Amino acid sequence: MQQVLLFVLLGLGSGALIAGIALAVVLTYRGSGIINLATGAIAMLSGYAYWSLKTGEYGGVHFATAPALLLTLVITLVIGVLIEFVAFRPLRTASPLAKLVSSLGVLLVAQASMLLAFGTDQKPQPTILPQGTVKVFGNTVPEDRFILAGIVIGIAIVLAVLYRWTRFGLATRAASENELNAQIAGLSANRLSLGNTLLASVVAGGVGVLAASVTQLDTVSLPLQVVPALAAALLARLTSFGIACAAGLGIGILNSLIDYFSTKSWFPTDQGVPLPGTKELIAFLIIVLAMFLRGAALPGRGELVEQRLPEVPRPHNLMTPAVAFSLVCAVALVVLPFDFRQALVNTLIGTVMALSLVVITGFVGQISVVQLSLAGASGFVVSHMAVDAGIGFPLAPICGSIMAITLGLLTAVSALRVRGVSLAVVTLGATVAIVNFGFINSTWGGGNTGSPVPEPHLFGLDLGPRSAFRGLDGSLPSPVFGWVALAVTVLLCLFVAAIRRGNLGERMLAVRSNERAAAAAAVNVRNVKLLAFGISSFIAGVAGSLYAYNFGSVSADRFDAVTALALIAFAYAGGITLVSGAVFAGLISTEGLIPHALDKWFGINGNWFLLFGGVILLFTLIQHPEGIAGAFYKRLHRSRRPGGRGERGSLFTAKTPAPAAER
Amino acid sequence: MTAVLEAQGVSVHFGGVRALAGVDLDVQESELIGLIGPNGAGKTTFVDAISGFVRCGGRVALDGFDLAGLSPHERALRGLSRTWQSTELFDDLTVRENLAVASRRPSLWQVAKEMLGDSAATSGEIEQALELLDLGWAQDVMPGDLSQGQRKLVGVARAIVTQPRLLCLDEPAAGLDTGESEELGRRLRALANKGQSMLLIDHDMGLVLSVCDRIFVLEFGKLIASGKPQEVRGDQRVVSAYLGGAAAEVSGP
Amino acid sequence: MAATVLEIEALTAGYEEAAVVRDLSLGVGEGEVVALLGANGAGKTTTLRVISGIVHPMAGRVVLAGQDLAGTSISARARMGIAHVPENRGLFFGLTVAEHFRLGHRGERLDEEAAYRHFPALAELRDRRCGLLSGGEQQMLAVGRALARHPRLLLLDELSLGLAPLIVERLLPVVREYALESGCGVLLVEQHIQLALTVADRGYVLSHGELVLQDRAEALRGNRDLLMASYFGERATATLEADT
Repeated sequence: MQQVLLFVLLGLGSGALIAGIALAVVLTYRGSGIINLATGAIAMLSGYAYWSLKTGEYGGVHFATAPALLLTLVITLVIGVLIEFVAFRPLRTASPLAKLVSSLGVLLVAQASMLLAFGTDQKPQPTILPQGTVKVFGNTVPEDRFILAGIVIGIAIVLAVLYRWTRFGLATRAASENELNAQIAGLSANRLSLGNTLLASVVAGGVGVLAASVTQLDTVSLPLQVVPALAAALLARLTSFGIACAAGLGIGILNSLIDYFSTKSWFPTDQGVPLPGTKELIAFLIIVLAMFLRGAALPGRGELVEQRLPEVPRPHNLMTPAVAFSLVCAVALVVLPFDFRQALVNTLIGTVMALSLVVITGFVGQISVVQLSLAGASGFVVSHMAVDAGIGFPLAPICGSIMAITLGLLTAVSALRVRGVSLAVVTLGATVAIVNFGFINSTWGGGNTGSPVPEPHLFGLDLGPRSAFRGLDGSLPSPVFGWVALAVTVLLCLFVAAIRRGNLGERMLAVRSNERAAAAAAVNVRNVKLLAFGISSFIAGVAGSLYAYNFGSVSADRFDAVTALALIAFAYAGGITLVSGAVFAGLISTEGLIPHALDKWFGINGNWFLLFGGVILLFTLIQHPEGIAGAFYKRLHRSRRPGGRGERGSLFTAKTPAPAAER
Repeated sequence: MTAVLEAQGVSVHFGGVRALAGVDLDVQESELIGLIGPNGAGKTTFVDAISGFVRCGGRVALDGFDLAGLSPHERALRGLSRTWQSTELFDDLTVRENLAVASRRPSLWQVAKEMLGDSAATSGEIEQALELLDLGWAQDVMPGDLSQGQRKLVGVARAIVTQPRLLCLDEPAAGLDTGESEELGRRLRALANKGQSMLLIDHDMGLVLSVCDRIFVLEFGKLIASGKPQEVRGDQRVVSAYLGGAAAEVSGP
Repeated sequence: MAATVLEIEALTAGYEEAAVVRDLSLGVGEGEVVALLGANGAGKTTTLRVISGIVHPMAGRVVLAGQDLAGTSISARARMGIAHVPENRGLFFGLTVAEHFRLGHRGERLDEEAAYRHFPALAELRDRRCGLLSGGEQQMLAVGRALARHPRLLLLDELSLGLAPLIVERLLPVVREYALESGCGVLLVEQHIQLALTVADRGYVLSHGELVLQDRAEALRGNRDLLMASYFGERATATLEADT
């Protein structure tokens, strides 16, 4: 019992961290209606700022604690202003998806720039809080846990008071209830949004600096704390500071208790070590629970017009581009040097992965982060069937796809009531849970080292990347596997284009446009969503099998949450509503052709590319919300569209086709 | 002969607020029925209730079949079709595709077949609906490129493409100018003459009075009058509902 | 006529590029109550939304006290002295009555007492959340809050919506009185014509987005046939006359 108490008290530390980030999430949401996935990343940025000022690692000046803290505050405020003006303000009236993706862009930029500046090593953050211990019921507990928890509770009280009593707080409450009415009342929505973003940055940044005693400083831990923080914020319905703070502390304590229980003999183990991923699973379950308890819809912001997702033009003339694409790639797979062959295969697989998002997000408007995890699940099935049961191609990939479809449909069941940004949060939680609970597990996942995948054989022919037939330079990988990947990619591209051209695609878009009107047009909204999730998960499953064969092994790190978020970023930047957009996404995806070329010719490595990727994503969101492929498409097809917005023909007669107008 | 629509004692409550209190309304075969009343009287709520978007008390039957417990899309499949005041087109689809969504009822098998073959064959119903509303020229246009009035027509076309038993039109004339509104009225009348049963909600009294066979009048969720256009036009309660409490003094002899 | 507060010149406006209001010109003078009448869908609400900056005009000008409002944001217009009570009343359900009066823009202090003077019933509801008020009380709060801002121009959209006529019969005289004593111009959208015309000085009647009738309020009240025609449609009138 005493032990339990000890771990409860120890959990206050990580609980305070989660609670602080949750408070910042709530602040941002109330101020500007954005669920800021980068809230944890802001904590990380401030943490690094303080670390480099204090240790003199950057600039060579060792600052004392007080000036270092002051400078860190200034830097944090500058970061807040930057985020507000670059990522939030230009998208005030954009679709919820665009807003979410823009916060994702901020996360990627923050993470990549810190990786470039400080590398992957963990930094021991110099502590600010006193290092003494106190005795509580016979336990020796570091006193900084209490101080940290006290500070966060204090922040929550201050925020609650601020929102209750000050004009700024009142105005924010008013604007978050109905932004238009607030503007009519003379309140400036922009100023309120800026104020809250700055407050949120200071809260998150402060927690990031103070949390030194609880966590090491690196580029993954703090940014991903946003997942449990989102769970806490959702329990608070993105509204109540008190509940967000309490829930955050509670989750921290729960995690600490799991640490304690995992030392017990009754705790389930996996090959000698305690079952991994239980904390993440619990965070996910809390998110799902919060959605059911608190209602699926997040509090809206009144009648402010929200823009639609980019348009989804009906593809014409599929065969010519498909044949040309196939021929060019088939030849390229033989003649290109080995490294570019590999990059091309990666691009093809990235394309398939992005296609999965085109179906679920582009066609049906559901933002699912979990697709990459479904691919991972499929890959692990392929690996384990071969290793544990000796079952290989083609049965294993089929089973993998079935696994992906099953998991995808399970997600879909939760998506029937949850939509839009809420769904993104649920699926993000699911991703983190699947990776940690499923993939890191060494029995049914790949442990820390990964799980091997043998070459695929069909009728005695080796179809894998180590097949006997080599490219012109005689090196690995074999073009044979490339051809397999190419055939699969082209078939799936045609499949997705066929969906858009057929009635199913029309019904999907009807659901995306307007669920109410779709139901009135006799569309069974639930079935369409389930079907879309099924198809999208199937495509993700195929991509997962290709991944597995491509690398000869599957490991958890290829499917982690940050990679999943980056995939959405690439897919959005490429053009999330178009098959051609998926091809663009493949070209720019991790280890794809364009990043490889940049690395090889200009020495721009993956982290630089992620940084550029984040910047380009933000730019794309503001300049071309329809994505790169969409922008191309518009330029090509502008002249085809009959008429144009603006002129008003008579009601019952055709307008004379107007010359193409700049839109 | 059973009525196309038979609504008895339809009541709707929002929280503590009573939006509809026991409204009885019927639509007979090929009738064009008007439903009017001041703002907030509950007209749209009535359509929401019979089309399944709002829970209601009372009985709603289509061709004598009780619709209780059916979801909106099931009611649509049974032949109850509706439009919205705000049009609510599928802005991501062309006009033709908007109609196609409503017109087909594909099974999983047909979806699969369509996937393998070429794009869907044209359907006669779509042509018919487009022709009926003279929208043939607009079939490949995106709804966003149409005028408000034209969008309203597409909404009507999408609602009739299923050849419904009952077509409910929620303010199809709002936002149209006088000429457009008159033209719409003529088309609705022609549709009714061809045997289509309709329930028309509109604030344009001119439109409703000139084209409808019978009219029901709502105020504060209650039916205050019903009958032929001339009867309703002369009804003192209707005049005072529209012109305010003190109207009697003005509209007296 | 007193100095002009609001001047609209040749306004055309609407949504999605479809004009709902066409070529509308009207003016509101200091201390004057002007009624904007017409059937639903005639473009009354759109006109108010253009004045307060929610909808951008396609053509024409909106001038407040000699200043062209083109390019001025919604909140800036509010700070210039436009108080708009929209159809949904523009209130915040999560805030108490008293909090609504603290919700001024930067540097603004709302004259809470003035609101309580006009609507004594509100004073007792000070600490009640807006969401718990009845429809009539909410409408009092909405109008009271607008008056407490001491606006130059008050825009009232369908005060009677969802309320029994009795409540509106009490609200409108308060507005009339306030306009007289403060010199604020009032533009009133109302579907209960009779009510509106008893408090208004002048009235404009819109039909299908176009101005069809404008006159002094007494004259409009007397002109029953024209009013009815604008509401029930000329065709209907014509048909009925033919019938009888």
